[in-house]
Amino acid sequence: MKANARHHGKVTVVDLSGKITIGEGDIKLRDAVNALLDEGRKNIILNLSGVSYMDSAGIGELVACYKRAAEKGATLKLLNPSGKVQDLLILTRLQEIFDIFRDEREALASF
Amino acid sequence: MGRRVKLKLGSRIAYVDLVHEVAEDLARDAHFSKSDALNIGLAVREAVINAIKHGNAMDETKSVEIEFEENEKSFRVRVRDQGPGFDWEQTADPREERNMFRSSGRGIFFMKHFVDRVAFLRRRGRGTEVILEKRLQPAGRQGRGGAMKRRKG
Repeated sequence: MKANARHHGKVTVVDLSGKITIGEGDIKLRDAVNALLDEGRKNIILNLSGVSYMDSAGIGELVACYKRAAEKGATLKLLNPSGKVQDLLILTRLQEIFDIFRDEREALASF
Repeated sequence: MGRRVKLKLGSRIAYVDLVHEVAEDLARDAHFSKSDALNIGLAVREAVINAIKHGNAMDETKSVEIEFEENEKSFRVRVRDQGPGFDWEQTADPREERNMFRSSGRGIFFMKHFVDRVAFLRRRGRGTEVILEKRLQPAGRQGRGGAMKRRKG
């Protein structure tokens, strides 16, 4: 899994690619989000368009990131989950928790 | 009787990707669609993670056995650990409001969603066996000629 952060004013977009699974992807996701929260970033978008799939550990880390962000007064939103990731978000009802966008401009403007 | 493939690995999370890959590849060999093969791979992945974390309690000296088997009706995977066992009947529904914010507890739920049948067997003094089963597509589709026949290309 790879994570690259782009800053658009007060909003940071993290482009994620690969798979978010136990042992590597979940840890990289945690590290990427923690680093932004430690920098004081308050508005974070995780771009999931390049993520092929996640397992229970990856989904769990996504929820943990959401909670950590909220605890620090930050907001985490999702952009463009791919087919399988979208299925998992629906299956777990997490699409009811996260703000999910299909268009990056819309996501950026939502903060 | 189709081909059987058996793996025996130490309890290391690093092996999970390998088992997932083998599961997905064998499912493709058995002519499951790419999407179904991924689902089988994900179910096996979750069973192996459970075996390592909850069954064998991350004890690398304890092994996890994975056995893949295809017959004319189904693709079946058995995942065995050597641990004291865990209470799979007490797992909570991760979709309930009170559980949605939990960062764990979705593994068995995923297994049940991704394959047609999941069964847990407690092997007296020898750990737990998880059986995952996915029904095969009707014979003849996509020119299927035999059990676990190697696909071309």
